[in-house]
Amino acid sequence: MSDEADRVRDEFLAESQEIVESLSRDLLLLDHGQKHGRADPDLVNSVFRGVHTLKGIAGMFGYRELSEIAHVLEDLLDHLRLGRVQLAQSSLDVLFEGVEVLQRLLGAIRGEVHEVDIASFRRSATALFGATAAPVTDPLAAYDLDPSMLGVLTEYEEHRLRTNAEMRVPLYRLRVRFALSSIDTDLDGLKSRLKPVAEIITYLPSVESSGDDTIELEVLLASATPLSDLRQLVGDAPIDAIATRDRPSRTMPPPPAGSGGGMVAPSVAPPAMRTGEGEGRDLAPRDAGAEAIAVRAVAKTVRVDISKLDHLMNVIGELGIVRSAVGRVLDRLGARSDLRPITAELHRIHRSFERHLEALQDGVLDVRMVPLGQTFDRLARAVRQVAREHEKEVRLVVNGGDTEIDKLIVEELIDPLLHLIRNAVGHGIESRDQRARIGKDPTGIIALNAYQKGNHVVIEVEDDGAGIDAQRVLARAVERKLLDIQSARDLDDQEIKQLVFLPGFSTADEVTDLSGRGVGLDVVRTNIGRLGGVIDLHSTTGIGTKFTLTLPITLAILSALVMRVGNHTFAIPLTVVQEALFLDPNAIRVVDGREMITLRGQSLPVVRLAELFRTGDPPRQRGYVVVTSLGQRRLGIVVDALEGQQDIVTKALGPSLASVRGFAGATDLGDQRVVLVLDAPSLLDEVLSADTRVASSSSHDLARGGPS
Amino acid sequence: MTQRSNDGSLSSSSSSLAPAPRAALASPRTTEATYEFLAFEVSGDRMGLPLGSVKEILKLAPITPVPRAPGEVLGILSVRGRITTVICLRTKLGMVPPRGASRSARILLVDRGHEILGLRVDAVTEVLRLRASEIEPADAIGAGLAEHVTGLGRPNSAGGNVVSGGEVIVLLDPVALLR
Repeated sequence: MSDEADRVRDEFLAESQEIVESLSRDLLLLDHGQKHGRADPDLVNSVFRGVHTLKGIAGMFGYRELSEIAHVLEDLLDHLRLGRVQLAQSSLDVLFEGVEVLQRLLGAIRGEVHEVDIASFRRSATALFGATAAPVTDPLAAYDLDPSMLGVLTEYEEHRLRTNAEMRVPLYRLRVRFALSSIDTDLDGLKSRLKPVAEIITYLPSVESSGDDTIELEVLLASATPLSDLRQLVGDAPIDAIATRDRPSRTMPPPPAGSGGGMVAPSVAPPAMRTGEGEGRDLAPRDAGAEAIAVRAVAKTVRVDISKLDHLMNVIGELGIVRSAVGRVLDRLGARSDLRPITAELHRIHRSFERHLEALQDGVLDVRMVPLGQTFDRLARAVRQVAREHEKEVRLVVNGGDTEIDKLIVEELIDPLLHLIRNAVGHGIESRDQRARIGKDPTGIIALNAYQKGNHVVIEVEDDGAGIDAQRVLARAVERKLLDIQSARDLDDQEIKQLVFLPGFSTADEVTDLSGRGVGLDVVRTNIGRLGGVIDLHSTTGIGTKFTLTLPITLAILSALVMRVGNHTFAIPLTVVQEALFLDPNAIRVVDGREMITLRGQSLPVVRLAELFRTGDPPRQRGYVVVTSLGQRRLGIVVDALEGQQDIVTKALGPSLASVRGFAGATDLGDQRVVLVLDAPSLLDEVLSADTRVASSSSHDLARGGPS
Repeated sequence: MTQRSNDGSLSSSSSSLAPAPRAALASPRTTEATYEFLAFEVSGDRMGLPLGSVKEILKLAPITPVPRAPGEVLGILSVRGRITTVICLRTKLGMVPPRGASRSARILLVDRGHEILGLRVDAVTEVLRLRASEIEPADAIGAGLAEHVTGLGRPNSAGGNVVSGGEVIVLLDPVALLR
C-alpha cells in the first residue's frame, strides 16, 4: 500500500474511532437515562447522526462490512427515533453489541483483530426487529429467489446479491446452454457482453441440466438495464426477471402480540418509509447536519501521527545533547579568568536556551497526553456487558477521567484494565441474592479512580465484592505446585493473595468468555511492567478488592540511573529503582545457589551484572546494589559504580538485535556515549524465573516476592 | 562535538559516492554494461559491495558493545540519533577479528530494507567500475565464503586475457550478507 493510501486509511481509522467512542459514550448515557425512566431523545438523535456519518465514510472508503453494520444500526435508531421501537434494555443491548462489532471491525482494519463475527449481531438485530424489520435487514426477502440457489452461494456472492437487492437493482435469471468443449470461451464471451450493463452474481449448473456434450447454466444477474435490452445481448437464451414479493405484505406491521424484545407495534404504518424517493428526501437534511458537525470538529483539532511526535521528541533529545555539550564548554571556560565577561554572557544564553528547551519538551509531551476518560468509557461498556452476562447488578463509578497519560501507554492499558474489570465482575462482585443475604446493596460497585502522583499516574480498580479468599488461593497455589505447604506457612494473608499474580495460577479449566479468557493476572503484571509500571493488590474478605496500577506519565522521556560495570555503562529507569546501597561483601550469603543479602530484615536475591552479561570484567569486592522492584518482586543488581541520574530518551535497538534479551533500548548520553538501557521486567523474569517453583526454598521472601 | 562534525563531513563524502542510475553506467564506447562497486579491505583481502547498496561511510566512532549479542555484532552506535547495529565484516566472514582501533577502519552503512546496518571494514580503497566481462561468477570460491559472494572482479581482464596473479576483488552480495 502506498504511503498516501496508508495516510488516508489512518485518517479514516482515526475519525471512525472517534465516532465509535462518542457513540458508546452516548449509549451509556442513554442506558443510564433509560434505567431512570428519562431517556433523552437528543441522545438518540446524536447516536443516529454518528452512525449515519460512520456509514457514509465507511462506504466512501470501501469498508463494506463496517458500512453494513452501521446501516443496520442506523435503521434501528431510526425506528427508535420515530418511536416505532421502544427504548428498552433489549434494544440497548443490540445497540451496544453493534458498537462493539464496529469497534472490532475497526480493529480488523488496523490488523489487530483477525476475525469479526458480524453474523451474531445481525441475528440479534433481526430478532429485535422481528417481522417489521425483516425487509430492512434482509433485503433478499423481497425477492422470489430459489432457496436452493441461495444455499449454495459463496459468502461473497451472497454479499453482492444482498448489496444489489438493498439498492433495489432488479434481478434476472438467465439460462444458457454451452457446449462442454467451448464452455470457457463461451462463458467469457457472455461475461464480457454483459459486464457493461449487468453484474453476474453467480452461475450454477442448472438442475435439469445437460445433454451429453452440452451443459446448461443458470446465471443470476443484477442489472438496471431494461429486460428488452438484456434480451438482445443474450440472444435466444431464456431470461426472466425475478419477481419481487408483494410490497404491502412485506412491510406490513407485525401482529402486536408475540413481538418480543421490547418491540411495540408501530403506531404509524411505515410502508412508505423504506421505499422510493421518500428515503432520499428524508436523508438529505440529515446529511447536511452530519457533515456540518464533522467540519466543525475538524476545524478545532489537528490529528497528528504519533510517529511525528516521536520525531520531535528525538530532535529535542538531540538538542539536549547540544545543551550538555555547551555546558561542558562552559565548564572549561570557567577556568579561564581572562574570558570571564564573555563566559558570563554565554552562561546567560545557555540558561535561556535551557528554559526554552524545557518548555518545548513539556509542550511536545503535553500533545502526547490524552485523558483516560476515553479508555474508561470503553471499560464502562465492558462492565455493562459482563454484568449482564453474569446476571449481576453492577454500577461503575469513575473518578479522574480527565487525568492525562501518554497516548502510547493508554493503548497498552486497555487490555490489562479490561481483564481486571472482568475479574471484578466475574469473581469479585457477588450475586444479587448473596449480596442481599449479607446485607449489602444488591447493586455491586466497581470504582475506577485515576489521579496523578508526581511523575506517575495511579489507576485503581476497586470492587465492593467478596474479596479474595486467602485460604482458597493458598489451596490452589499448593495444588498447582506453585509453592509447598512448608513455605506457605510463613505467609500472611496479604502475602498469600499476591500469589494470584503467579504464572499458572489461573487455569484453563475455568476459562469462560467472561472473566479469564485464559490469560492470568501474571500477564497483566508483565504488561504493566513493560510500561514501566507496577501493579499491587489489596483485598479484604467481605469488603472488596483493590488493584492499584502505578504508571509513568510518559514513555518518551524518563529519568534513569546511570551505572558502570567494568568498561560498560548501563542505564536503568528510575521508575523501577527502589534504592541503591553500598554492597557489603560480607553480607552476601548463598541460599540454594543464589546470592542473597538481607535488607531491613528481608532477604533480597542479588545478581552481578558482570556475570549475568558475561562482560569479562573481573569480579570486584566493592560495588553497589541497585534494588529494583516490580510490584512485589525485587532484585538487587550489583554494579561497580553509580554515575548518577539523567533524563534519557530511550530508542529502540534495531531488528537485528531483537533476539537479545535484557535491554529496553539504548540512549545517547550526550558525551558521545551510547549506553544500553536495561529492561528491568525481562531481567527480573529471567533471574527470578529459576525460582518459579519455590518448593525447595523455605525463604519467606522468595515465596512472597520471588517467583515469577 | 567531534562526532557531529564527523557526520557532517562524512555525509558530504558519501554524496560524492552517490550511486548513479544503472542506465547511466553503461559505457559510452561499448554496449557492455558496467557496474560500480565500493572496494574495501577486510583482513588483507580486497572486497567490494555494489555502490548503490552503501548509503554512507563513517569513520570508526566509539561503539558500545552489546552483551549477549551474536559474535559478529560489534555493538551499537548513534548515527544522527538513530541507534545503529554495527557488524564486524571480518567475524561475519569467518576471519580473524580485528584487534584494537585502526585509523583506516570505516563503517559502511548498508540498508537491508527494514534496518540500516553498519559494516566494519579495515579500509575503504576506491570506487571500481567493472564491465560485465570483468566479473566472474562465484563458483570457484571456498565453501565458507560462497554464500555471501556474487562473483569475483578482475579489473582489466576483459577479452579473456586473465593474467594469473592479477588483482582479484571478492564481490559480496549485500542481500545474503545481511540476511
